[in-house]
Amino acid sequence: MTSVLHFCRRRSASLFAGLFGLALAVCAIVALLAWRRSPRRGLPYHDSFAAGKADEWKAFGGTWELADGGIRNDSDERGAKLVTGSPWWRNYTIEADVYLLGVSGDAGLLIRSSKEEEGVNAYSGYYAGVRTSDNSLVLGRADHGWQEETQRYPVANGIHPFQWYHLKLVAVGCEIAVSVGTTAQHDQTAFGISDPQCIASGRAGLRSYSSGSIWRNVFVRPATHQDIVEMLRKGSSHEPLLANTSEALSPNSPEALRDLEREQGLDAPVDRNVGNTRAQSIHSLLLASSAKPVRAMVRGVVVLTTPRLYVQDSSGGMYVSQYSGPPLRVGDDVEVRGEVHPGNFSSRMDHSAVQLLWGRSPVPPLSVTALQASTGRYDSTFIELHGLLTAKSRGPNDKLILDLNDGSQSFRAILNPGRSGALLSKLQLNSLLRLRGICVSDPSLTHNLTPFVLLLPSNEDLDVISGPPWWSTGHILALGISTALLAIISVILYHRIVDWRLRAILDERSRLAHEMHDTLAQSFAGIGFQLQAISNGVPKYMSQLHEQVELARDLVRHSHEEARRSIATLRAEALESEDVLGALEHCARRMVGNHMVVVATETQGDRRQIPLRTKDTLFRIGQEAVANAIRHAESSRISLRMVWADDKVTLYIEDDGIGFDPGSTSSGFGIRGMRRRAHAIAATLHIVSRAGAGASVWIEAPLPPRVTLASWPRILWKSMMEAWRHARTARTIGSHLYRG
Amino acid sequence: MVPQTEGTLRWEAAHVGAEEAVQGTGAFIYWNAPMRDGDVEAQIAVVDRIASGNYKGLVLAPDQALALVTPVRRAVARGIPVVIIASPLDVPPGGNLFYVVNDDAVGGRIAAERVAEALHGSGSVAILGVDPDFAGILERVRIFESVLAARYPHISVIEKRLGSPNAAHEQQVAQETIDEHPHLDMIVAMNGSSIDGALSALSSEPSSRHILLVGFDTDNPANIDNPHVVCIIQEDTRSMGRDAVRAILDKLDGRPVQPQTLIPPVVITRSNLNSAQVVRMWSQDWTLGRMQWSRLP
Repeated sequence: MTSVLHFCRRRSASLFAGLFGLALAVCAIVALLAWRRSPRRGLPYHDSFAAGKADEWKAFGGTWELADGGIRNDSDERGAKLVTGSPWWRNYTIEADVYLLGVSGDAGLLIRSSKEEEGVNAYSGYYAGVRTSDNSLVLGRADHGWQEETQRYPVANGIHPFQWYHLKLVAVGCEIAVSVGTTAQHDQTAFGISDPQCIASGRAGLRSYSSGSIWRNVFVRPATHQDIVEMLRKGSSHEPLLANTSEALSPNSPEALRDLEREQGLDAPVDRNVGNTRAQSIHSLLLASSAKPVRAMVRGVVVLTTPRLYVQDSSGGMYVSQYSGPPLRVGDDVEVRGEVHPGNFSSRMDHSAVQLLWGRSPVPPLSVTALQASTGRYDSTFIELHGLLTAKSRGPNDKLILDLNDGSQSFRAILNPGRSGALLSKLQLNSLLRLRGICVSDPSLTHNLTPFVLLLPSNEDLDVISGPPWWSTGHILALGISTALLAIISVILYHRIVDWRLRAILDERSRLAHEMHDTLAQSFAGIGFQLQAISNGVPKYMSQLHEQVELARDLVRHSHEEARRSIATLRAEALESEDVLGALEHCARRMVGNHMVVVATETQGDRRQIPLRTKDTLFRIGQEAVANAIRHAESSRISLRMVWADDKVTLYIEDDGIGFDPGSTSSGFGIRGMRRRAHAIAATLHIVSRAGAGASVWIEAPLPPRVTLASWPRILWKSMMEAWRHARTARTIGSHLYRG
Repeated sequence: MVPQTEGTLRWEAAHVGAEEAVQGTGAFIYWNAPMRDGDVEAQIAVVDRIASGNYKGLVLAPDQALALVTPVRRAVARGIPVVIIASPLDVPPGGNLFYVVNDDAVGGRIAAERVAEALHGSGSVAILGVDPDFAGILERVRIFESVLAARYPHISVIEKRLGSPNAAHEQQVAQETIDEHPHLDMIVAMNGSSIDGALSALSSEPSSRHILLVGFDTDNPANIDNPHVVCIIQEDTRSMGRDAVRAILDKLDGRPVQPQTLIPPVVITRSNLNSAQVVRMWSQDWTLGRMQWSRLP
């Protein structure tokens, strides 16, 4: 009863611990989800563009690069987007300085953006921006389609390209408000809308439409209704919006270029049919004299602006160095006049003046193979090709350098620093990449290591077509480790299941023993008492009846003893709390009962923990041997001895009874059962007996080896083999193994 | 709904028409398009995404008559009703494929009549912007030439140039044409970019003041005020968007749908630029759609 209570208590404790652990895990998951969905997670946010970092931003279209302390989209694509933050951000404000690089189009900020895809209005959220075409502040909502506030909010002094504006967009509840001002004086023009079926949450972002742009100082902060009130109050004053001219301009800043443009009169309406000089094809410049400098004029499309300016027409491309002109974007149609220096495969134009003709979409790349590119035919041209990534590294000025192979050709791809940081860690060696960039055979870039290098305009010009093959060294190692872990887990699970099954059998046996004790044994005792009463009541002269009653009492007594022995063999609680020898001694003493048999025990060696299955098998075999000694051998002494060695344990059961012939058929069934049990745990059973000389039974069972770092693979292998052998044996023998 | 591109007058009008059609039906318009003109690859990607998504119908203004055939067939094979608007594909309608397209034959005929009227039945014409990517443009060119040949034999087509959605290229082509044919009387510009390119070339060339222009499908209403412009023959994308979405809804409701509907183009001149018909066609009035917001005080 005590052990049953102990077992129940232990079960309850395990159950409680399990429930507590589960509750903790659920709480942790709920807390994690709550944290992830928190509308304030990651707020306030301030960009790190000036530090050259923008890994947290995700682009949808456009060509985004870090430049001049901000992030720049050079593309004239409609609706290029760059988003960041949590989709659960609700009430917040985003503000930034915005600089338009095109004479038409608009640029601005996104708020509560979600479901972003590549596409003009392919997102759900609100957009506000400054637009040059009608000099207005724009606010609208996109749901994969654009809906704009129809009333125009013109900005005093208009919206001009090449000028910084400070834009601020706030969303609180279902009220959205926007303001624009200069970098020195914010919130000069403002208005807001109330959208009853508003988009409740989403990321923050940057967006441009038909114009390249630069953004800097992007801040995102939590906002309240008071922020909207304040913004609208300031914005209603409608003070004249003046360009901020107080900022110091760096020589290469867009502002400086803008001044240059003004000086050259390039901000005036462009005459798109300049002069009488006929434009030459870029390819024809290769025929220019190399003996004396020749000036020429070409028209083409800008295909790269940084680190070098490349212009391309339908005949080829060229490098434009030392140029003056307006800030250029990829896709601009330009006219270039300058001094021609023909090269081997393409020309370079020095001391050039660049005039912007049209802003337009970038030209598509020519799809070629590395072999074709290595002929020089595509030098200075925007191409697309595939390559297998063999190495990646950082080069001078923190540029990302990729080494690639395509068939027999090797080449390099070079990407400007900035957003390439995330790319470097993401790209895996032996991946197949598709790259778009300017093919350059200039030895100053190739260092004569490869036939050409590819100058990539932005991160978006590199696609991973397929990752490395799965049979890489790392993967094979991981597979091996996973297999080993799986094998270990399987073996552990297998042993656990066997233990659980065995424990269930032991529990059932114990229950049966209790049942027999409470019913059968008590009944035998009752019958015995009744027979005694009958015997006492029968007159002495009825001797025949006395004899018959006495015979019946003997039979009852014998049956009672048998039942007691059976109960003793079935009871297994002892195994739970005692060692095998102790349990066996306990059982033997119960079986002996009133017989004059001495039970002696002895242990040699250091006792160790042994698996329950081994314990049970030793106990059952020992029990059978003790029962034989008591029932059949008429012995007066039974000796139980346990000998512990490093790798095995041996249980000896010896008696001084009449002995038997182990080979005789009458003793076969019990011994066969003992042998089967021994075989199931890979143990060896020995029986030695002679008539009149007692009997010795001993069983040698292997012990699990002690686990060390060096020994675990061998142990695992052995365990697996043992489990497999045991499973096979169990299948062959069937479930009768544990029937006692 | 996948137009050729977005954010332009013509295609936003188509979106307004589509929103008008779904008003009160509970249907939702997913609207997406390539971010630049002529980006066939991007348009195919959007069409494929829609075809493999959970959409009930597809309205497509193809960027290319041939390249979109396979993606459209894939969508039709998945049981999605597809309506082609603006310019047809190189496959006939039938089954789940319907056309609500511009009546380019009418457009070509109108252009010939307007040219003849402006030139008083005699003169030389250059056709610019012949873009073989659009079956509708080829059709209008064919009808234009055949009407001129049959009815106005004294008007000759002296130049015909291929075109593209690239205005810079169109300007270069127009410039070359004007240079090569100093006595040219009329330019017929077959698409919006060739109108932009031709007007740019004409505006900067003093010797070409006499050259007139009849154009098709502009995205810039200000072009009509240009003195060179006789008229613009504009496809009615708003009606196309509306009728295409209605065709999808009819098909889904089991009502019969015409395999092909031709929407006649609208002739826009300086005199009717502010007429109700033209204003309605170019209207960006979103109050028909989902926008219900109000201004904050």
